[in-house]
Amino acid sequence: MTLPPDFAGGWMVSLLDLAVAVLLVALAARLLHTRNLFEAIVLFIAYGLTLSLAWVQVGAPNIALAEAALGAGVTGALFLNTFQRLAERSREGSGMVDPEHGDRGPEAGP
Amino acid sequence: MTLPPDLAGGWLVSLLDLGTGILVGVGAFFFLAGTVGLLRFPDLYCRLHALTKADTLGLGFITAGLVLQLPGWNAGLQLLLIWVLALSAAATVCHLLASASLQAGIRPVEGADEEGEGP
Amino acid sequence: MSAFLTGVALFLVLNVAAGLLRVVRGPTQADRMVAAQLFGTSGVAILVLLAEAGGEAALRDTALVFAILAVVVSVAFVKRGWVRKLQSAPVEDPAEGGEGP
Repeated sequence: MTLPPDFAGGWMVSLLDLAVAVLLVALAARLLHTRNLFEAIVLFIAYGLTLSLAWVQVGAPNIALAEAALGAGVTGALFLNTFQRLAERSREGSGMVDPEHGDRGPEAGP
Repeated sequence: MTLPPDLAGGWLVSLLDLGTGILVGVGAFFFLAGTVGLLRFPDLYCRLHALTKADTLGLGFITAGLVLQLPGWNAGLQLLLIWVLALSAAATVCHLLASASLQAGIRPVEGADEEGEGP
Repeated sequence: MSAFLTGVALFLVLNVAAGLLRVVRGPTQADRMVAAQLFGTSGVAILVLLAEAGGEAALRDTALVFAILAVVVSVAFVKRGWVRKLQSAPVEDPAEGGEGP
């Protein structure tokens, strides 16, 4: 397979784009459908990092930097902090939500 | 040994390319080993061990391979800084997660292969 | 050379996608955080490789941010265990021991 010299590596770049895009969609689907709150938080962090890679691939490294620092780092840490508050509240209170085990109710899924 | 300048440059560049290819390939292998360990090991502590050490070593190999491609010492120093930062980050995260999990009551898996070295 | 480096970056992306299975399968919360750490280290490697393959030096700064990030998230995760440990003297931890192996 002979490629023009300016296209050298181009097909590999498009394979990388494809992998990042599929990973983004799969992460988003799992993140929205999971019943486990903690898993959703970790998947959100992973989603932010993958989105940062996508920004890199479209040629915007500055936005990738901001996405990694704010979208994944700060927001992820805030989500973890909120999770802690939810866990403490459910332990003290009536126990409607039990985020420690992630399930929203007794009928929760897998 | 005297070579014409273009030949000397080409010879050196291809040698550096070879070194980069070998080092980056070894690094990718260590990343694969870390992921296999993360998926296959039976215990949180084994997984931490596999992941932080193997991945950091793989990152070190990849950085060493890429340093050979850089034009000057400037960006090479930045790559070295990135690796040192990732090294300390992995060690810190490993220690924090392991001690926190131990305090939270997760026991390590014991037995099943203790015949040889156990006291 | 550029195609080779991009190929290794693609391999690392697939590697991370395989490692995310650990996030889905738990069983404890710390296991999921370990997978996030995998993402941090692999992300640094991917960005450094792409910086060399594409000739963009700015990606190395993004790689530095990736290296910091796993530490921030893990400290935010670990802090809750320690805070609870300090607040409630009797050790009654329903958090993770029940789920563990």
